[in-house]
Amino acid sequence: MTALIIDDEIQIRRLLRLALESRDYVVREAETGRLGLQEAAFHRPDVVLLDLGLPDMDGLDVLKNLREWSAVPVLILSVRDQEDVKVSALENGADDYVTKPFSTAELIARLAVIQRRHPGGESPEIIVGPLKMHLDRHEVFLAGEPLKMTPVEYAFLLALARHAGKIVTQRHLLREVWGPQGDGQTHYLRVYANHLRKKIGDKLVISNEPGIGYRLLVS
Amino acid sequence: MNDDRPDPDALLAQLQREESMEKKGRLYILLGMCPGVGKTYAMLLLARQRQADGLKVLVGIVETHGRKETASLLEGLEVIPRKKISHGGHTLEEFDLDTAIQRRPDLLLVDELAHTNAPGSRHLKRYQDVLELLDAGIDVVTTLNVQHIESQVDIVRQVTGIAVHETVPDSLLDRAHEIQLVDLSVEKLMVRMGEGKVYMAERAEAAAKGFFREGNLTALRELALRFTAERVDRDLEDIRKARRVSSPWKTNAKLMVAVGPTPYSESLIRWTRRASGRHGCPWLAVWVEGTRPLTAPEQDLLGRSLGLARKLGGEVVHATGDDLAVTLLTVARERNVSQIVVGKSNRRSLWKQTLADRIIEGSGDIDVCVVRPVIGRPSNRSEMPRRSFTAHSAQEYGIAFAIVTVLTAVCWQIEPVVGYTVPALVYLFAILLAAFHIGRGPMILMAGLSALAWNYFFISPKFTFEVRALEDIILLVLFFAVALSMGQLTSRLRTREIAERRRQIETDALLRVTQSAALAPEMGKGLAEALRIINSVIGTDTALVVRKLDHSLPTVPHPAGTWLPDEREFGVAAWAYGNKQIAGRFTDTLPQSAGTWFPLQTATSVMGVIGLKLTNEDATLDFTLRQAVEAFALQLALVLEKEHFIQAVSQAEVMDRSERLRRNLLDSVSHELKTPLAIIRASIEGMEAAAANPYVIEIDTATKRLQRLVDGLLQMTRLESQVVEPQMEWCDVNELVEGAIKTAGDVLKNHLVSVDFAPDIPLIKTDHALLHQALANILHNAGVYTPQHSAIELTVRHAEQKLRLTIRDHGPGLPPGEESHVFGKFYRAAGAPAGGTGLGLSIARGFVQALGGDIAVWNHPLGGAVFEILLKAEFMTPSEDHACVSCQIKETAAT
Repeated sequence: MTALIIDDEIQIRRLLRLALESRDYVVREAETGRLGLQEAAFHRPDVVLLDLGLPDMDGLDVLKNLREWSAVPVLILSVRDQEDVKVSALENGADDYVTKPFSTAELIARLAVIQRRHPGGESPEIIVGPLKMHLDRHEVFLAGEPLKMTPVEYAFLLALARHAGKIVTQRHLLREVWGPQGDGQTHYLRVYANHLRKKIGDKLVISNEPGIGYRLLVS
Repeated sequence: MNDDRPDPDALLAQLQREESMEKKGRLYILLGMCPGVGKTYAMLLLARQRQADGLKVLVGIVETHGRKETASLLEGLEVIPRKKISHGGHTLEEFDLDTAIQRRPDLLLVDELAHTNAPGSRHLKRYQDVLELLDAGIDVVTTLNVQHIESQVDIVRQVTGIAVHETVPDSLLDRAHEIQLVDLSVEKLMVRMGEGKVYMAERAEAAAKGFFREGNLTALRELALRFTAERVDRDLEDIRKARRVSSPWKTNAKLMVAVGPTPYSESLIRWTRRASGRHGCPWLAVWVEGTRPLTAPEQDLLGRSLGLARKLGGEVVHATGDDLAVTLLTVARERNVSQIVVGKSNRRSLWKQTLADRIIEGSGDIDVCVVRPVIGRPSNRSEMPRRSFTAHSAQEYGIAFAIVTVLTAVCWQIEPVVGYTVPALVYLFAILLAAFHIGRGPMILMAGLSALAWNYFFISPKFTFEVRALEDIILLVLFFAVALSMGQLTSRLRTREIAERRRQIETDALLRVTQSAALAPEMGKGLAEALRIINSVIGTDTALVVRKLDHSLPTVPHPAGTWLPDEREFGVAAWAYGNKQIAGRFTDTLPQSAGTWFPLQTATSVMGVIGLKLTNEDATLDFTLRQAVEAFALQLALVLEKEHFIQAVSQAEVMDRSERLRRNLLDSVSHELKTPLAIIRASIEGMEAAAANPYVIEIDTATKRLQRLVDGLLQMTRLESQVVEPQMEWCDVNELVEGAIKTAGDVLKNHLVSVDFAPDIPLIKTDHALLHQALANILHNAGVYTPQHSAIELTVRHAEQKLRLTIRDHGPGLPPGEESHVFGKFYRAAGAPAGGTGLGLSIARGFVQALGGDIAVWNHPLGGAVFEILLKAEFMTPSEDHACVSCQIKETAAT
């Protein structure tokens, strides 16, 4: 598996290389956005780690350019903890983000999640830890027990479960569950996240990243 | 006007009331007919109920007068200790306004609204304390007896014969959110009195016994009932108007009352206020300045009358004109007045119409209401003295006498040549000239003397007062008449000229102030010149305090001033600025201070304050002077505002450019600082057997500390450069609190943290990240500063659009006197454990303030510190919640 690191900090690149190589990744590096795009085009990596603060061009522009011709999973590395930047990266096709300083273990876990190929629409069921969702029968089981759900709760859980472990932005969730009507109605999310938390107990965690979105995690 | 449409004024008034209610506290008044009907009891019942509803209720001041039933209701309510004020060797206890504001309760109990504060308090009257509390956004419940309402004072005096001195202005009652009548039948009250359940101050007991007669009580009860009924009526009227129900009143009703320098005016003003209250319409008090200058006591009377009109919520209009009736009618037409109120005169003369008659004659379609005035409250001031015989006028009498003597001597010499009629003309000419310079009295003396002298020395038979020839008699009478009327005319011309000149000087000064301040190339010099002009016109020393760009008042006066006020005076200045009202000497607020402070108020904002200290200690700032100062203040305010706008525009341009720069800089600094930290932490994780190596553990601890410091510094920088813009969204308070406890981290590991949630807190609209960080910082702080295994209690309460997060610890508490310092940047309490940055609380407060709330802190009486975050925020109403459920079901059903 090939990972491409686009970051101008040589120490970060070296550290990431150490961590990734110990987990059997083949690592390629690029120190500018331009070089990164070239690398991505020539070597077709399986995953890209992209820093947003690059010397030659904005990381967000690199991402947009990349998304025009590639569906490769992208993990954003960022020190900017302003929510709006993260949200715009996610909405421009990034799969997830980690904020520096990050823990290596967390980074590796995130990488694994975004590289997982999702079963998509064809598979009749989704399994996340103890949770099993039958898509054709609209049935949900938690550790074998059937769960009663309202249609909205079901749609909400489904949207999260399809991308289990990954962050799902508020806008994406609202669109998915409520359609165009849902735009901007973030309070719906709070209400339903709470309802769902009560139903699924502590076996699964619906974690909220304020201002960005939700993540379904197995505890 | 189309009657179907809602009255825009009514809508606006309602909107304004709603709007002001949003920001300001609400006032609940429990109204009774007299002491002893159970107002305090009712107030405490209400308080207990609200406390049970989850509100934070504090008792500001409650007088139980030793009644057990009332005292027992106080149990379980938190009482603010009274403030001790020492005055003239006595120690007086008074309501502690500052603590009440600092503690920010949801509801504060303040008994006896009409109370006069002990000397040395901030305000003269307790109702002013209440106004300040309302402005601070605190809801207040208070008690009031009907005889203390300003507009009812006359009626109460008529009915009971007792003059009430402690009064509350009606404008305050208009602000009341709710007036609730506490009623008791007179029979029951008499029984209660018999049982000794009605408190009477010992001193007043004798008087009170007269007061508590059955007839009086019945009358007072009727007053109270009627007052409440009128109020209910008006509320209903507002609702009707706003709901397009056609109105039974003339929609453009407006009352006008003529005010003069007489003791009757106050009573007319009160009458008008009551009538306007019944009709729910605006009213004007008009004063017509004539040609005659007012004497000092007259000015005093006028000032008091107009002050009363303002206090009762009327608009004061100042007009000038010779003819009172004509001027009044002109003003009435200009202002679209529907009804004019004038006093009924007792004296009627055959040849002169009264003012009322003349107004009625010219009133046309305006209604005229002639009211019999009640003489004002018996005041301890002496009756208006006649103009006294001063040294100044004595000199003028002397001059008049001397002129006549000299002229007589001169005419005696020329009379044989020119005949006896010429001296008469000489006298007349002299009177004409002299009348320009001397007063009326001396002028009449001069006319009389000349007539006598002419008769005695020149009309034959000489050296007698006898006049024989008929033509001489006619000549003499005519001479006297012409002399008098000429003198009168000239003297009137002269007084008008004096008044005109005074006005001219003021207008000139005003113009010069404006010009010098606005056109001066340097603002400072222009202001100095303007203040110099004001000083010379009014006779004062002046201090100017101009607000800073962030709307706070600096602690040093503007260098242009000529008076250096001390710290106490600055307190007065700050009050005047904050409350947009005149304060200090010659006013009701802090009258013991040396200077009088006027807010520099424009239509949109207050630009600062100007303080005047009269150079002549005995002088007073009378009505005309005050008006002049207000005019100066307005001009200065306009000039300052213009300057402020110019500055603001250029600053906005600079800000715009620097804003981007600052963001970029912050981002890159953030990047540069955090990258090495990230590398260190990742490297530690990558080390083999890291957990076993004590050196690595030390590096890890230090790195975490460094990271906290960097985070804190960056957040502080963001706050200070005002890059923090709250992103409001619906947040779950439970989630927020739990997240904050998690973020506060390891320091709480060994503490007993308990969280007390009120059940079913709705979603709240706020910035999750900011509030989360603020709460986490406070919790972290509590964890660091309290001993391990001690309890930390977090209470979450919400009521009426307010969220209250209270964090109580059981540590050593805050060092006394330093409660307010803990939010300072880099403040570290003495003996604080190493490893803190002194930034946490400062950031917490900055974040909460950015969200429109505040943090208060105090020591708990049982030990430990209490931090309280109070946020005014929007809560989601349950109906919204339901709406979103139903809309999704529809949505999913459709798909």
